[in-house]
Amino acid sequence: MIVAALAVPFVVGLLLVLGRRFVSGRAAAWIGVAATTVSLVLVAAVWEGREGVSGEVDVAWIEPVGARLHLGLTAVSWPFALMTAFIAVLCCLWLVADDTSPALVGLVLVIGASALGVFGSLDALLLFVFFELALVPMWFVIAWWSDADRDVAHRAATRFLLFTVTGSALLLVGIVVAAVEGGSLELTALRPTAVAIVLITLGFAVKTPVVPLHTWLPDAHSSAPTVGSVLLASVFLKLGTYGLIVFVLPSDHLGVVAPYLAVAGSVGIVWSALACYAQDDLKRLIAYSSIGHMGFVVLAISTRSEAGLAAAVFGSVAHGVITGLLFFAAGSMKDRYGTTSMAGIGRGLYGRAPWLAATFVLAAVASLGLPGLAGFWGEVLSLRAAYDVGSVLTRPVAWTALGLALVGIALTTAYVVRAVRLLAQGEPSALEADRDLGRREVVVMGALVAVVVVLGLVPQLLLDLYGPVYVGVAR
Amino acid sequence: MTIPIDWTVAGPATIVLVGALVALMVDAFYPRRTWLGSGLPATVAGVVATAELVRGDATGTPFAFSLVVLVGTLFVVVASNVMNFENAMPPGEYHFLLMSAAAGALLMVGARDVVTLVVALELLSLPSIALVGLRQGDRDAIRAAWTFFLVSVVSTAVTLMGVSLLYGVTGTLDYALLGRALVDPAVPDGVVSVAVVMTVVGLLFKLGAVPFHLWVPDAYGGASVMVAGFLSAVSKAASLGALLVLLSVALPAAQDDWQPVVAVVAALTMTVGNVGALRQDDAIGLLAWSSVAQAGFLVAPAAVVSSSYALPAAAQYVAVYALANLVAFAALAVVLRLRGSTRLDDLRGMARNDPWMGVPLVMAALTLAGFPPAVIGLVTKFVVIRPVVDGDHVWLAIIMGVNVMLGLAYYLRLVVTLCERPVGEPYVSPSPPISVRFAKSTVLIGAAALVVLSAWPDLLLSHLP
Repeated sequence: MIVAALAVPFVVGLLLVLGRRFVSGRAAAWIGVAATTVSLVLVAAVWEGREGVSGEVDVAWIEPVGARLHLGLTAVSWPFALMTAFIAVLCCLWLVADDTSPALVGLVLVIGASALGVFGSLDALLLFVFFELALVPMWFVIAWWSDADRDVAHRAATRFLLFTVTGSALLLVGIVVAAVEGGSLELTALRPTAVAIVLITLGFAVKTPVVPLHTWLPDAHSSAPTVGSVLLASVFLKLGTYGLIVFVLPSDHLGVVAPYLAVAGSVGIVWSALACYAQDDLKRLIAYSSIGHMGFVVLAISTRSEAGLAAAVFGSVAHGVITGLLFFAAGSMKDRYGTTSMAGIGRGLYGRAPWLAATFVLAAVASLGLPGLAGFWGEVLSLRAAYDVGSVLTRPVAWTALGLALVGIALTTAYVVRAVRLLAQGEPSALEADRDLGRREVVVMGALVAVVVVLGLVPQLLLDLYGPVYVGVAR
Repeated sequence: MTIPIDWTVAGPATIVLVGALVALMVDAFYPRRTWLGSGLPATVAGVVATAELVRGDATGTPFAFSLVVLVGTLFVVVASNVMNFENAMPPGEYHFLLMSAAAGALLMVGARDVVTLVVALELLSLPSIALVGLRQGDRDAIRAAWTFFLVSVVSTAVTLMGVSLLYGVTGTLDYALLGRALVDPAVPDGVVSVAVVMTVVGLLFKLGAVPFHLWVPDAYGGASVMVAGFLSAVSKAASLGALLVLLSVALPAAQDDWQPVVAVVAALTMTVGNVGALRQDDAIGLLAWSSVAQAGFLVAPAAVVSSSYALPAAAQYVAVYALANLVAFAALAVVLRLRGSTRLDDLRGMARNDPWMGVPLVMAALTLAGFPPAVIGLVTKFVVIRPVVDGDHVWLAIIMGVNVMLGLAYYLRLVVTLCERPVGEPYVSPSPPISVRFAKSTVLIGAAALVVLSAWPDLLLSHLP
């Protein structure tokens, strides 16, 4: 089943890219919706419970290297996979329009399938193949379908690609070192040495991104078309956090990198909040805010506690849906006003496009971690994990990070409130392009809003996967 | 006195040499100087030699490298049909020189004493130099051949010097005996260090490793495209095979002397090659510099030849590298014949308006870069880094990682250029000779092989040593 969940979007995506001349954009998007829905249903149906591996497929692949085609979903990877498949469906739905290029739909499918492959792989080499597979299609999505100037988009896409492949080159060496030491490429059997852990952490830290390796992110996210931004933020960054969770978190040598991760993560929270406060471009603002959210996840990972693990997974999934929603909202504004500059869009959206404004504000406050919405639980569990220090950090480091994170939360509130004030509130300055949500936008954003609210009100849905310990915190 | 001849080694080489002579004869007595006339015996010799190699009982590293040499030569011979009716290239001489060089390459891989190695090295080098300068009335080609010749002579001299020193201290030139003699504590360490390093130099030159790399871009740029392909694939595979056998059989006792040298050379070679390739605007120049960089990856396992992973890794890497490089060079040869230029600007959009040549070129570039969907390239990158880590050279592994990234930068530039929307209709030669189709078919077969290997890398990795 899991093979079909990967193969269906992948094959359909390739066919759409190759047969782009024979199909209209709208039809291509509907085909994409169908393929990704099949994939989503299969990923959901494959679940067998939190103990062990669901839907395991294990076939010999490259004997001399010890690599196997080993696929399966665990309690850690299933939420990621489910979120990826869900976002892919919404991206295809978003593309149901007349001016869509069929090739873009195809690339979105390929990227989604590759990301699913990363989450579904239980073999390090296979995971790496899927990890790289999505990069070139993403380059094309950013460079060719960008709304920005062609040169700017090219440069942003190239910088994204170069940063990521630098990371993945180090990651490859790290995997080799770990495989030579552990004698196996099975994710569960991998025993990275200290050197390997440093290399692997660097590799995923570029992708996550951890400050100061984040400089590729704002340009790439703001140059990409709406679906590209959504995929980058909701899915691509999760490849980084997922990698940290499965490779680095269980390692005996986490202590080597944990203090740096904790401090870099919490510095990232503060840094990104300050950067956000200075932004006028809405997409850049959302992009910078992602760095802060990833900071919480990285901080949680560095504690290696049960609460930390839950926080990391919950934080990643919540960021995926919330930031997806924010980028879709920004995309709606872009479609209307041709710009994402907050000054250009003007004030008083409550009066001009009430439902759009309400959706945006809901996403924004979810992003700052308002209790009752999805963003809250990831952050609070992460802070809790840092407060408890965990098994590898020392108290001074953990509490310094905790302090920085708390400052960051205050600053986050400030920039979110600023953005809400600049866009939603104030005297409406009506523009010709004012128009409330269309049917397609209602469906896409409605689905995301529902998930944000449900995850916020019933966090146990996800937290129950990780045992009873911190569900107490959540109740 | 009887000279023992090991026909397992000598058989394929002899067949190839016979093929060379027949090709020359056919050309002399068959006045219409077409490529088919002398190409046919060359092709037949290649096929028969390959069959003989597979039928024979050669195993392990020599078998793998001989196979790469033979299949590579066959590929070059068939793809060279692209030059049919190019008046500047004499087909008979071309095939004779090509097959002689191939015989030298085979002997080099099979050499088990140092004299055979040096003779084979010359048998490979001299025809190669002539091949580079063969195009009549081409000043670039002559100049390239001169550079190649001078560097070749110097490095051979250095190697001979090293060999004579080795003979002086040990009294033998046989690999196995050398290996035993060098363990003897009576042998003076200082002389051995100098001798070993000097001996290795000649082979590093043939591989185009830093600091002997400067002839590579010159020679590749000046020579006909398929000759460049031959040098980059066949000649390199043979030199690497010879180097590995020499280091692992004859010189393991002197490991402390050559290991740091080889490791540093590997690191420098890949870095210098990649940096050079970053600045190229011409696809052939790009491939020339990239093959300098790839030489670094090829040499890296030689530095840790004591690791049990090293020999298979080198053989598998060189096989995939040679195949991808030959596909790329053959595709470019066709493009050069039909469009008259291989500048990146003129290749823009080739994967769209000429998919039969453009897509294989994309596949080859991705394989060389080690980037999915060319999984085989990625897997062989993994394979080649593994012995380096196993041999406790993690620093070299990290440099290799960084160079994988540098390589991606320009290979992906090539890929993106090829996939871009074309600007205007490209110039296409109105009447290409029908034999260009032979060259095209090799490109397609090679690219198909890369696709199959990417889908199932085990096919190669389990069956080559």
